[in-house]
Amino acid sequence: MVDPANTPLGKMLLEEITPVVMVLCTPLVEESCLKNGLSFIQMLSPFCNFTNIDVPVRTASDQPYRLQKFKLRLFYASDIRQPNLEVAKERLKQVITQAGEKDFSEMWSDPPQVNDLLSRPESEILPSWFQFFNEELVRTLSFSDHEAFDHPVACLLVVSSRDEEPINRFVDLFNTNKLPSLLNDGAMDPKILKHYLLVHDNQDGASEKATKLLTEMKSTFGPNDCQLLCINSSQDRQIHHQENPWAPFKSDALPTENLGCFLNFDDFNEIKDLMQELSSKHIIPYMEQKIRVLNQQVSATRKGFRNQIKNLWWRKGKEDASDSPNGPVYTFSSVESQIRILGDYAFMLRDYELALSNYRLISTDYKLDKAWKRYAGVQEMMGLTYFLLDQSRKEAEYCMENAFNTYLKLGSAGQQNATRCGLWWVEMLKIRDQIKEAATVYFRICSEDPLHSAVMLEQASFCYLLSKPPMLHKYGFHLVLSGDHYKKCDQVSQSLKYCDNVPNSRSSNILQCFHLQIKHAIRTYRSAVSVYKGTTWSLIKDHVHFHIGQWYAFLGMYDVAVTHMLELLACSHQSKTTQELFLRDFLQIVQKTGKTFEVLKLQLPAINISSLKVIFEDHRTYASAAAASVKESVWHSLEEDMIPSLSTAKSNWLELQSKLMPKKYKESNICVAGEAIKVDVEFKNPLQISISILSVSLICELSANLEEMNSDGNGSNIELQNDENKTSTSTRDIDSSSILSEVDLSLEGGETTLVQLTVTPRVEGILKIVGVKWKLSSSVVGFHNFESNSLNKNVAKGRRKAKYSPDNYLKFIVIKSLPKLEGIIHSLPEKTYVGDLRHLVLELSNRSKFPVKNLKMKISNPRFLNAGNQRELNVEFPACLGKKTNVVQSGGHSNINKVLQNVFLFPENISVQEETSLSWPLWFRAAVPGNISLYVTIYYEMEDVSSIMKYRTLRMHYNLQVLPSLDVSFELSPCPSRLQEFLLRMDVVNKTSSECFQVHQLSSVGKQWEISLLQPVDSILPSQSLFAGQALSCFFKLKDRRKSSTSEDSIPSPSLLLQSDVRLGPQGNSEALFDVYSSPLADFHNSERLHQGMPLQGNEYKVDFVFISQLLKGNIDSGAPNTPLLISHHACHCSLSSMSSISWLVDGPQTVQHNFSGSLCEVNLRMMITNSSDAVASVRISTFDSPSSSIQSSDASAPQPGLPPENQAGWCDIPVVNDMKVITSDALATRFTKSVSLESVSQFIWSGSSSTKLRLQPRSTAEIPLQISVFAPGIYDLSNYVLNWNLMPSSEEEKQGEASKSSGVCQGYPYYLTVVQST
Amino acid sequence: MIVCVAVVGYQNNPLYIQSFTDADDALKLHHIVHCSLDVVDERVNNPKKSGPTLNETFLGLLYPTENYKVYGYLTNTKVKFILVTTDLDVRDADVRNFFKRFHAAYVDAVSNPFHVPGKKITSRTFAERVSTIVKSFGLSSVG
Repeated sequence: MVDPANTPLGKMLLEEITPVVMVLCTPLVEESCLKNGLSFIQMLSPFCNFTNIDVPVRTASDQPYRLQKFKLRLFYASDIRQPNLEVAKERLKQVITQAGEKDFSEMWSDPPQVNDLLSRPESEILPSWFQFFNEELVRTLSFSDHEAFDHPVACLLVVSSRDEEPINRFVDLFNTNKLPSLLNDGAMDPKILKHYLLVHDNQDGASEKATKLLTEMKSTFGPNDCQLLCINSSQDRQIHHQENPWAPFKSDALPTENLGCFLNFDDFNEIKDLMQELSSKHIIPYMEQKIRVLNQQVSATRKGFRNQIKNLWWRKGKEDASDSPNGPVYTFSSVESQIRILGDYAFMLRDYELALSNYRLISTDYKLDKAWKRYAGVQEMMGLTYFLLDQSRKEAEYCMENAFNTYLKLGSAGQQNATRCGLWWVEMLKIRDQIKEAATVYFRICSEDPLHSAVMLEQASFCYLLSKPPMLHKYGFHLVLSGDHYKKCDQVSQSLKYCDNVPNSRSSNILQCFHLQIKHAIRTYRSAVSVYKGTTWSLIKDHVHFHIGQWYAFLGMYDVAVTHMLELLACSHQSKTTQELFLRDFLQIVQKTGKTFEVLKLQLPAINISSLKVIFEDHRTYASAAAASVKESVWHSLEEDMIPSLSTAKSNWLELQSKLMPKKYKESNICVAGEAIKVDVEFKNPLQISISILSVSLICELSANLEEMNSDGNGSNIELQNDENKTSTSTRDIDSSSILSEVDLSLEGGETTLVQLTVTPRVEGILKIVGVKWKLSSSVVGFHNFESNSLNKNVAKGRRKAKYSPDNYLKFIVIKSLPKLEGIIHSLPEKTYVGDLRHLVLELSNRSKFPVKNLKMKISNPRFLNAGNQRELNVEFPACLGKKTNVVQSGGHSNINKVLQNVFLFPENISVQEETSLSWPLWFRAAVPGNISLYVTIYYEMEDVSSIMKYRTLRMHYNLQVLPSLDVSFELSPCPSRLQEFLLRMDVVNKTSSECFQVHQLSSVGKQWEISLLQPVDSILPSQSLFAGQALSCFFKLKDRRKSSTSEDSIPSPSLLLQSDVRLGPQGNSEALFDVYSSPLADFHNSERLHQGMPLQGNEYKVDFVFISQLLKGNIDSGAPNTPLLISHHACHCSLSSMSSISWLVDGPQTVQHNFSGSLCEVNLRMMITNSSDAVASVRISTFDSPSSSIQSSDASAPQPGLPPENQAGWCDIPVVNDMKVITSDALATRFTKSVSLESVSQFIWSGSSSTKLRLQPRSTAEIPLQISVFAPGIYDLSNYVLNWNLMPSSEEEKQGEASKSSGVCQGYPYYLTVVQST
Repeated sequence: MIVCVAVVGYQNNPLYIQSFTDADDALKLHHIVHCSLDVVDERVNNPKKSGPTLNETFLGLLYPTENYKVYGYLTNTKVKFILVTTDLDVRDADVRNFFKRFHAAYVDAVSNPFHVPGKKITSRTFAERVSTIVKSFGLSSVG
């Protein structure tokens, strides 16, 4: 523990609580002194402070001690009174204001960070004016009547030698009516030590007269109390004091003023000796004397047990009498006052023990008397005494607290005292490292006066900062509180001044007056910012920034205000009204600055950097934005076999490139002059209110020359961000080297908008996209540099992604302009029904001056889209699909030959000339329902071979939605009665919700099939229209026409059947049937077949059907409502799975009449066997008679010995149902067993060989004669035979690995023969 | 009456702060909560010597301001719960009980897989639950 006297508080106490000397002087004395620029007191002041006076002191005890340090305070009599409160306040205010101005001027730099602050020594952190302010505050309480240490101990009477009748002057000076009220109203003893001083000005002449006067004085006032002081001994003005001792005592001295210029060294010493003598020879002995006297009195009246009892009893009796708030009035002669004086004198002479005992004594008295103010004063002194004694900290603190609380209890009267007491208490706590407690005391000092409170709170905040560990949260909080108080006192003064202000006075000055303390407020808030910086306490942060901004705006410092307001902009957590307020104020302040603000990283609106997407076109060009957003890999796979080998193309291109540009740009992107680079940026409005943003555009740098970039000369780059020329058009022309697009948008609260910005370079060079800028209102320009945080950038172009550094990603090499095709597919529907067949036109236009050639096209999905023939460009649809009677139909119409691996080559002679367009027909058919993406890429080469790029591709992408329309299914079953004939059932269900389809036509594909209706459509579907949800089943007969050539067709076919198309529409309709063999339908059919994995030339046992219907009033295409649509459905490979390669038919009479009386009846039958496979078949027919053995034979392929049974064939009784395919030979067998059991007895036998074997050539029919012998009339089932067949596969078939059966055993079909007994 | 409850993360970042007054004093309460963090730090760094406070989550009365009493609670993950009340005589048991329930609600809220640790708690369920707890606190202390 340091010596308490050496602590700041100790020093202050030793300075402040010292004996007061009242000075009474004549005006002539002052006049003499003023020659030196000093008043009399100022002249003496430097010599009142003795650091080594070395005076022995003996107070109450007998033990003397020596006093080293001593100080006298000199005051004019007129100043010895309680200072006017208002004046004091005004002075304090001035102190604060001055400090504010001073600090504010230093505040242009950034506010210090908390951590920086903490590392500095304490003295640097604390503003120095606090100390000064505190001292001033304490001084306002001087000369209070309840304390004795400000009471003058001595009186110095000064008369000039020039004064007339100096002796009388001395007497006049100590005239009672001029004396301070303290002496007059009895608060202190008017009989004080008097010292008489005669001042002689040596400039007035020799000092003989003065010496004479002195002797006169000595005889009058006593020899010891009179002295002569000669000043102004220096005759010229040349005396300069090296370290002017007077300077600290005259605060308002001008630097040019030469203080004490007439005081030479002799004068100097004379004054010094005078003061020394006054202190040591007069004042101190006087005080000693007084202490001893008082102590004796006090001991006599108060010390000792008897006195105490008496005192107590006496006080008690007095208790009820005194009711005044300040307790009873104590005059100087009262015991209480004397004890207090005794205590204070002892304190001033450093006899703290004595002081303390007296303070203790008096404090109980005052307490009992309820003289609270005096009580508090004594407690305060006790606290200080304890402190200076350095014992019992607790006691000291307790006393201070007690004093403080007592003062506070007095209300406004005690407030000032409480403040002083608090300040001393704080100092005491600080010295003892109880800084946190000090802060709370500061907090408690706060009074109604906002200015004082503000200063105290600020000091409290510093206490929190300095406490160990620092309490930063509280630091910030108290700073904010303090700032609020500073602001509040401005408001008070403002309202005051408004009242009594002349309205016409200069407003700026008034404004300046109003905001005296606002600078303090700003300072505190700025310090608080550093506390809240980086935290997420956004509400507090916003509050602080908002107010700083506002206050700066009050002061007219709009620039700084704006920087603070900027912090507020993204206040998404605030309420809507607050957001509006913030934004409005911000814009107002910006407006007041009168200039445009360019703000990097403006937070309004927020930019989602991860959404950044750059679309540019090098050799890949895009027809639409949708195409550009498709993944590169999709295009890559599509174009793979179309574009020239990448490696060769690239090597050429690199070769060329390496000549042109430095290595570091090799990896840059390429773009073409005159073609726009598009950048998609996402803007988000974080607020709840809508904001409008103007002139959103990219910031680009385009260096026109590659060589310039080489020399790393950024200065030569053309900065493209001069936004001075505002034009109303949406594009701006900057330096004519590139065009930037500008977008205006309005964002609703919380809205996110994707903005596409473009930059179009016009000259060759290197283009760098630096960032984006926009205008919020008219005068705030926000910037955002893309490079700054490119870590999570979404690289849209994937091809060389790995090699790209983010820098290069936004850097482009602009090459000279190249031809570019633009393409569009006209009238491609966005939404359609399955089967919709359309004629579309692809239009390719070339806007450049150079022609392109060698066009190729590849379509991702040939089922949907097919290139047509140039002839078909202007055909009328769907009439063009109609059968042309005069044209010989052949398969050659289809475009198969043109399509090589789905790449459509445009004819060689086709080139797109400059500024023309090429139209090409396309056929579209919606093949399957669902959401379909169609990718079309068109490859073309430049005719100008000298250009850097040899070729480019145009990529088109369309999305369409295909809805289900009709569900068409076919079922085929063999005709039971005819060879080569099949029954076809077509089921059509309308799956749409509202559309009405008109059935039109069913065609089988391939020449070998004839199709005919079993019954007219009119009978099943009279309206010809299929309404929503309606189903239709239709039966057709299908005949294989190829067989008629090899075997005789016994059934005469009507001429109607001799066609592969069947009209389903109204009979009277003359509308032509559509030709399924002509180009679009046939092409699409092939695609369908390919899709189903079948070869183009399929198995002839499988049939393909094309069902065509029409939608007369299609409402699906919003672009063209009510246009008739042609719907085609393709069903491929309808077949009977059970259809074996071998089919046969037993033919013979149904009824035979025979006279059995004669002989047995022989019936001749024919069996026709057809081999429809491509292989040679060997067939063995085994007949057997016994039904039981036939059962056996059904599960064994072995031929049955014995007589061949009667052969039967015909319709099997299997219903023509869906499950045709699942019927197996086992099922046949069981049915056969049943029929046998009905026929209990076999009445016929097969005649001829029981087993016939024959070889059937591929696709041939053979006829075998069969004969049975019948013995009795009856109905016979001639099905007891088995057909064993075996295909000898050709090598070709083996390779194909076809799944068809190579062998089989077939039971005979039931064939009923009725034999009747003829008469 | 409880005027404010707050959840403050281990980096002294506010996770949840809700006032239950009608007046527009959110800023004041924010300041109070923010300030009380200093006291929490102090308590944590200079634990009382007495035995039972070991591993005690309840920090007790942090500091009394003119109008409010501030209580604190520290979870094992250094998340602080702050309670600001205007009641002048509050039983410790009530506050302890309150914090226990509040802690449970908090644990449930942050157990939500969609909650990002260290981010503000936006769960509406949590808010409802907290307001129920706050209301019941008022009732129990009255009764």
